[in-house]
Amino acid sequence: MKNLQDTIREIAAQSLARGEVELVIGWEKGDLWWQSYPAFIEEEKEADRLIWDPLCVPNLSRYLLQELSEMDEKKIALFVKGCDALAFNQLLQDNRTVRERVVLYGIPCDGLVDPSKLEREGLDRDLQEVERDGEELVLKAAAGEEKRVPAKDYLYDKCLTCRYPNPVAYDQMLGETVPVEPEERFTGVRKLEELDYEDRFSYWAEQFSRCIRCFACRNVCPACSCIKCVFDLQEPRWLGKATEPSENAFYHIIRAYHVAGRCVDCGECSRVCPVDIPLQELNRKIILDINELYGEYDAGVDPEQEAPLITYKTDDPAAFTES
Amino acid sequence: MSVAREEHNFEPLIVAFCCNWCSYAGGDLAGTSRMSYPPNARVIRVPCSSRVSPNFILRAFQRGADGVLVAGCHPGDCHYITGNYHARRRLSILRRFLGFMGVEPERFEVHWISASEGGKFAEVMTEMPEKIRALGPNRKLRDAR
Amino acid sequence: MRRIGVFICWCGANIAGTVDIEKVVEESKKIPGVAYAGEYRYMCSEIGQDMIRDTIIEQNLDRVVVAACSPRMHEPTFRRAAESAGLNPYLVQMANIREHCSWVHKDEEEATRKAVALVRTAVAKASRSVELFSQEIPVERRALVLGGGIAGIQAALDIADAGYEVDLVEKSPTIGGRMAQLDKTFPTLDCSACILTPKMVDASSHPNINLFTWSEVEQVEGYVGNFTVTIRKKARFVDEEKCTGCGDCFEKCPSKVDSEFDEGLVQRKAIYVPFPQAVPNVPVIDKENCRWFVKEKCRVCEKVCEAEAVDLEQEDELLEKRYGAVVVATGFDVLGLEEFGEFNYGKHPDIITSLEFERLVNASGPTGGKLLRPSNQEPPRNVVFVQCVGSRDKSRGKPYCSKICCMYTAKHTVLLKEKYPQSQAYVFYIDVRTGGKDFEEFHRRAVEENDAIYLRGQVGKVFPEGDKLLVEGVDSLSGKTVQIEADMVVLAAAMVPRTDAPEIARLLTLGTDAHSFFTEAHPKLRPVETHSAGVFLAGACQGPKDIPEAVAQASGSASKALGILSKETLLSDPCVSKVDESLCTGCLMCIDVCPYHAITEKTIEEKVHGEVVKRVVAEVNEAVCQGCGACSVACRPGAMNVKGFSNEQILAEVDAVCL
Repeated sequence: MKNLQDTIREIAAQSLARGEVELVIGWEKGDLWWQSYPAFIEEEKEADRLIWDPLCVPNLSRYLLQELSEMDEKKIALFVKGCDALAFNQLLQDNRTVRERVVLYGIPCDGLVDPSKLEREGLDRDLQEVERDGEELVLKAAAGEEKRVPAKDYLYDKCLTCRYPNPVAYDQMLGETVPVEPEERFTGVRKLEELDYEDRFSYWAEQFSRCIRCFACRNVCPACSCIKCVFDLQEPRWLGKATEPSENAFYHIIRAYHVAGRCVDCGECSRVCPVDIPLQELNRKIILDINELYGEYDAGVDPEQEAPLITYKTDDPAAFTES
Repeated sequence: MSVAREEHNFEPLIVAFCCNWCSYAGGDLAGTSRMSYPPNARVIRVPCSSRVSPNFILRAFQRGADGVLVAGCHPGDCHYITGNYHARRRLSILRRFLGFMGVEPERFEVHWISASEGGKFAEVMTEMPEKIRALGPNRKLRDAR
Repeated sequence: MRRIGVFICWCGANIAGTVDIEKVVEESKKIPGVAYAGEYRYMCSEIGQDMIRDTIIEQNLDRVVVAACSPRMHEPTFRRAAESAGLNPYLVQMANIREHCSWVHKDEEEATRKAVALVRTAVAKASRSVELFSQEIPVERRALVLGGGIAGIQAALDIADAGYEVDLVEKSPTIGGRMAQLDKTFPTLDCSACILTPKMVDASSHPNINLFTWSEVEQVEGYVGNFTVTIRKKARFVDEEKCTGCGDCFEKCPSKVDSEFDEGLVQRKAIYVPFPQAVPNVPVIDKENCRWFVKEKCRVCEKVCEAEAVDLEQEDELLEKRYGAVVVATGFDVLGLEEFGEFNYGKHPDIITSLEFERLVNASGPTGGKLLRPSNQEPPRNVVFVQCVGSRDKSRGKPYCSKICCMYTAKHTVLLKEKYPQSQAYVFYIDVRTGGKDFEEFHRRAVEENDAIYLRGQVGKVFPEGDKLLVEGVDSLSGKTVQIEADMVVLAAAMVPRTDAPEIARLLTLGTDAHSFFTEAHPKLRPVETHSAGVFLAGACQGPKDIPEAVAQASGSASKALGILSKETLLSDPCVSKVDESLCTGCLMCIDVCPYHAITEKTIEEKVHGEVVKRVVAEVNEAVCQGCGACSVACRPGAMNVKGFSNEQILAEVDAVCL
């Protein structure tokens, strides 16, 4: 049986050769074992740069924003994991991508490796390559040594709670679908809700105090696809430039609010935060409330479904003292 | 000229966004009926509760408001047909979210006040400061500079 | 630096009694940007307005704040004053220091402090105000009237008489509506048909009125002054030009169905004219029940028609028409009585609704005006009338009062007695409501001259016994259970809007109440207008009402419509949304939240890095937008803004109010 990586390379080469697409977006290896980066392949002979390994976490859908606007009317092939497909659908719902111009190759994903979990246990020493073999990870060191560890212990937390590992949108699915066995995703939110208001505030004040306003959370987010962000406006000046606590809180609250009903819960915001603010919990709190008050809704699953915050029912419940 | 802000003699400052057609008119009726309520709340007139952006609400807290009120027409009676239905969803989500951030829910309220409910307007304007007085001044989300 | 003028009104003692005006003037002068602060006893007076005008000129003011009463009261006044000094009227802001301050606060110090804060907030808003300009909208000087009942006919006649063209669209094959079904009208006992049919004929022969019967509105686009409406003219299968109205076709038609006009008491044919005085007097084929359309056999009507008017190949026509104003007069239905099992309605032919009773006493009705029991065609002796069937009934029916039942029931008792002096009417009621000219007198006549027995209480059960009906009820005044052996039971079922009212509301973006009655713009002061500019209401589609009220409202609507049609152009309110295309991402969520369909998408071309790229942005039709601002909050990048209530203005107000 061919492995997935070979299939990916083959498909990329073929579709470029046949002129079906002008660009293929996939992943390629960086210099270090944990670096699986977006790759932009325009020529058939470059297709062998493409890889698939358990570190291919970057969401490729967002790169369409740039590429589609540059390549007027040209077609692009894109490899999508479950979360990437949700992201793609969200971009579609936001009119930020064009379905006809994108060929989606779906990759069922059984979870990706969180390098920090390996580092924490010192498993990154001399590491050169990580492979997935069923329920195990194969850690290959420089000297050809191999070590096997249970995969589940080293996957991203967000992957453990993933509800859509199999892409919901694709033109062609590559590989077998994987079983869907998510852990409860609202545990973190519920834990925070056990705190009283003072402690909740202190918790978030401490988290936000670390924010350096690098905007990585915004830049990676498939729901933050505005051409010009409201926070970058000079006039009106919604948000001060200082990393003052209230400004930081303002930024994170409004950012979460802006993706309310549109967040696909891919968890990329938390992953890319250089100061480890658990941003996904903010989004999940809003998802939980929307589900509770206005009915279950999974952003990105069906781009035709109306997002919960742009519609209403006349008998909607309210969360005010007066209902 | 702000309301006295000393802890021991604390008078909360409340920013009230009132829709022009119902709640602001309800406030006018409270006035013409010579009802009496404390001066803690200051009204900003907006066309509709659906005009109230969470940004405005957060900005008020940032600038020192101890409480924020959004008041609109009763659901079903919106001057703009559906505005308050949108506001109800948006602001319900925001209110719970602010609670998650540690802001006491009493500090952010939404009330439906019709143009004929001068009494209710006065009641809300009386009760909200009382509840917030008990909580003390708001420091959360407030610009400390 | 702005040059803002602040004008503080005493409103006699209304403001000055609680607010220290001098102090407010003094503090206002300290606000950055304020170039002038002054006061006067009555700012709204001519002298006050002159003072504003003169000061703007003398002090070279570029923004104005008037601290006085509610802007809902005098904003237009002060805008005009500023305009007279050459200042754009939208550069005026008001601080409401009366209704929201001096009238509700007792302590002078507190009230004064708040007044200063309100002035400061208004100054902040004013300083962020920009000049706004109304647009001139050309008016299509024709009107659409929806519904051909008495309200629609009246509205159409009034508009047509004033010299404007009207299209009157009616869903059923004839105009006339509910009033055509009635026998006599209360409290004068005028013959309904005698006063209605001339109006129907007037409407059909009026040179300015085009009748579209058997037609429905399918789509409405546009806005006040410029509605584009698609009308579906359903195939009648009879050529209106050729038909002579001889009636041979329905004489010979073999298919029979219940007559809608006669409330199902008799049958009509599949090709039919609802009633002899129908306008137009042209039959229509009911496709669902015609043998040709169901079984592809028959065509008898075609064969017998000497005028060769029957055209079974006819198809629906879609007409696109333009109007400046619309009057909605879609009328009412009678509540279905499925929930009211105790009355056994539908289970026995002598248990009928009041509307069926109207048909039974009507000379053009199934019995030729002889009031006979449907079960055995015998004259009734005891007739029990039950009021409030489904009205004033929160649990099973409607909470509201249907308003006309008390009076038409009194009329029914009088008509009964007129026909059969030996008969006896019993009326079960909750309250008798006779508010209206000569109504109480008429009711007394029913009770005193016609010996109708009024029983205050409710009916628990109606059931057949032998060839009679037994009515069990409670007379709550005596506390006794009453049992009446009746020949006929007449149920005053609640008035409800037509079943397609929600669809009409959607087409015209009208508001409805919980029962689907259309909502007027203001219950007291704008009773015929709706929240959709240029759309007006007439008759029972807005709420239960009797004929004179429906007619009065129709004339009111007509005059409102004429207010639009008599102008060549309208001025739009500039306080509406606008898009900053450079910020718009094209997500178009604004379209979803707009209640007026005022937002559309458009493709723009712009240069990015020297290359021309196309992208989609939102576009606001300023004539349709009402300025609610729902879109501005749905817009994440802040591309959508509301003029007069802009992001910049509201943020400035928040900042100032918190100082």
